Amino acid sequence: MSEARAQAQTTTVDADLLPFATGMLFFIPIAFVGNELGVLLRYPQIGAAVLYPPYAALTAALVASHRRHWIWYILAAVGVHTATNLAHWPFSWVVLADLANTARAIVAAVALRAFFGGPPKLDSIPELVLFCLAAVFVAPAVGATIGATNPMIHDVSPSYWRSWSSWFMSSALTALTMLPMFLSAVRNGSNWQSMVIDRRRMVEGLALAAALAVTCTIAFLLRITSRWDLALLGYGPLPLLFWAALRFGPGGASVALTVVALAAILGADRGTGPFLSLSTDDTVLALQLVLLLTALPVLCIAAVGGARHGAVQLYHALLASLQDHVAIVDARGMVLEVNESWRRFADAGHPCPFDRVRTGDDYLAAAREAVSILKKAGKAEADITAARALGGIQSVLSGEQKRFEMEYEQISDTRPEWYTMRVEALERPDGGAVVTRANVSARRRAQLEIEEQRRELSHLARVGVLGQLSGALAHELSQPLSSILSNAEAARHLLKRERVDQVELRAILQDIVTEDRRASQVIAGLRAMLKRGETRVQPVDTVELVRETLELAHAELITRGVGATSYVEPELPPVLADRVQVQQVLLNLILNACEAMSEAASDDRRLHFSATQTETGDVRFSIRDGGNGFPPELIERLFEPFVTTKAEGLGLGLSIARAIVAAHGGRIWAENNLGRGATVHCVLSATSAGAVAEMRLRDEAAPSSDSSWSAVGALGAVAEPAFSPSGARRRNSPIPRP
Amino acid sequence: MTLDSTNPARQIAVAIVDDETLVRVSLRRLCNAFGLSATAYGSGREFLDSLESDQPQPDCLLLDIQMPEMTGLELQRHLTSRGVRVPTIVVTADDAPEARARCMAAGAVDYLRKPIGADELLAAIERAVCDANRRQSLTPPRGEVETR
Repeated sequence: MSEARAQAQTTTVDADLLPFATGMLFFIPIAFVGNELGVLLRYPQIGAAVLYPPYAALTAALVASHRRHWIWYILAAVGVHTATNLAHWPFSWVVLADLANTARAIVAAVALRAFFGGPPKLDSIPELVLFCLAAVFVAPAVGATIGATNPMIHDVSPSYWRSWSSWFMSSALTALTMLPMFLSAVRNGSNWQSMVIDRRRMVEGLALAAALAVTCTIAFLLRITSRWDLALLGYGPLPLLFWAALRFGPGGASVALTVVALAAILGADRGTGPFLSLSTDDTVLALQLVLLLTALPVLCIAAVGGARHGAVQLYHALLASLQDHVAIVDARGMVLEVNESWRRFADAGHPCPFDRVRTGDDYLAAAREAVSILKKAGKAEADITAARALGGIQSVLSGEQKRFEMEYEQISDTRPEWYTMRVEALERPDGGAVVTRANVSARRRAQLEIEEQRRELSHLARVGVLGQLSGALAHELSQPLSSILSNAEAARHLLKRERVDQVELRAILQDIVTEDRRASQVIAGLRAMLKRGETRVQPVDTVELVRETLELAHAELITRGVGATSYVEPELPPVLADRVQVQQVLLNLILNACEAMSEAASDDRRLHFSATQTETGDVRFSIRDGGNGFPPELIERLFEPFVTTKAEGLGLGLSIARAIVAAHGGRIWAENNLGRGATVHCVLSATSAGAVAEMRLRDEAAPSSDSSWSAVGALGAVAEPAFSPSGARRRNSPIPRP
Repeated sequence: MTLDSTNPARQIAVAIVDDETLVRVSLRRLCNAFGLSATAYGSGREFLDSLESDQPQPDCLLLDIQMPEMTGLELQRHLTSRGVRVPTIVVTADDAPEARARCMAAGAVDYLRKPIGADELLAAIERAVCDANRRQSLTPPRGEVETR
């Protein structure tokens, strides 16, 4: 054995020594007093006592102690028993009784440890049943089977069965009255240092003890004067036993039961109290039966009370441990309970009554009040939020829906805070709901930050795409400027002539106007693409989108000698999108396609741009080229960042395109064609007539709000104030061709 | 012979090939206003077709480069391969630095970037026509260009 292990073992022994020594210090006097009490009242011939406290003491000691200490407890118990009983019984009798006592305690201890792993709490009916099985039936039966032979061997009792039942009753009664007290003592004794003494509980305990002392004195220790006294006195202690059971659990009930039992024994021994019969045997039996039948229901009440107390404790601990604000409301909306977080929030002095609700308040009334106050204050948005919350709570309480969830923004003096509110129906006959409020500002702020970064990135990508197009765009602007200049110079020269050709001049001026408009539109298109604007999701006409994108790419297609064709399925619905961003994606795909065909023969340099409806009713844009296609090993990863097929390229274009499409709730993927080249598909959600109508409605409801995608995602709404009649007119004009 | 229509001498014939209608029309107007005879074609193919018909060969070709189907450079190569010796002035909106060299290498005599002023254009045409005439060597220039 290594030195370290030897050291460790020494430490363990030392650590166990103190509880063992303390245990012995308590055990020996208790065993001594218990044996003296056992001598006090017993069946004269059989020798079994009414109550035998050493059984409870030894069982509790064995259950709580280490097995290697068992022998010491057993020796101590045997020693004390022998010492106290030798004066009354022959040695062989005492030895056999020792054997019975020891076997009984060992059986009970082994069974209790097997069932509960240590001293049981007895705070549930199943636990109480197992306890009874082990310590009230099996162990006493074992003890009785051995102990009952004693009178027979010594030839004092006529019946083994009579002797057995006396032994059994004595042990069973001890287990039911005193054992829970001892088990509770050894359970709590080990951590007595950390126990908090509650002053109110102590006062209550003292009051109970005093009441018990008075009642027991009256009931058992005074002389009986009339017959009705008997009934009254027999049941006198019952209310106090229930009090102990309900308020102090199985341990408290056991203490009270022990006091009552001892008082009854003392009374019977003195010849006072209700238990007075002709023979001692009858007195003992009557006493045992009454105590047994009292102890069982009292322990049951203690177990049920303990279970309830445990459940309530767990419920409060659970509520207190929740960081979210939690309130439990009944079916009428009255607040039954709130947790600490909710209480702190309510105490923070919020202006809105909805945020100040406490236990006992009417939550629905507070919500209604909030709606009316906010309406009066003219806070349109907040008032709509409160109305939504009210509607949600009402719908859950009325059983219309099982849960309701919403996210809202609360403007405070310093900065906005975001909360989610969840109302979850309580699955119980009385109904009601749990309202949970959580501060999600951190998540929301992170979300907004990501959204901002995404916007920034997509803007940069857009600028990059335009950079790629710069040559083509210069061409696009030079054409009208060239035409204007030539026309103007021609006109100037024509005006020098004697006979000015009015018709020709008018035609020239008309062309100048047309070309000037075209140049302005090119610039407007550029501005729209370069603008670092808010994302505006609105229904975009599919035909226009395809046409405008092709126009934007026109010069590039020409420059690269790519022939482009397009097809838009008839009656295609509009897509729900940010026009500029989707154009950016499609333009990017077209430019990629052009680049892929740069090495191709002129007959293969063909691009086909189509828009068709998917089976689910969404719109699929497909851009098909006649290049070399994608390397098969890259095709799955094309849309990941830094994956590129180009010699010079960061590989960010398609990943940004995917990010934009994903933010629109769409999909983008690529595939190689059966023949030459590849096709990239991009699916965007179509706008149903219903969705458009809903957007209009929301638009009217919240005219000032300006939500972005993150808000759309978080709230599950598609509300976009941009879709106002004026917003719909304001088109980001790309470059139309005359 | 001058470039002005008032001059009764033989007019210089200019062909314009540009896919953009308004650009094409404006160039033709400009040439006409300065007394040149100009014919506009919407594509290289149209111009090649005209050469095959009995129409007289123009004195000068104003050629756009960025056109669908047949680009200006491709047309220029066609002309060279067929032995058609029309002095070609490239008139383009392409601002790529290497474009000029590419066009000159393909056989263009001049390279003008849009937008082009009348003076610049007429000077280029005059230069191109004179050079072409001189290159045809033995015969003197068929006309002189007067720029207003």
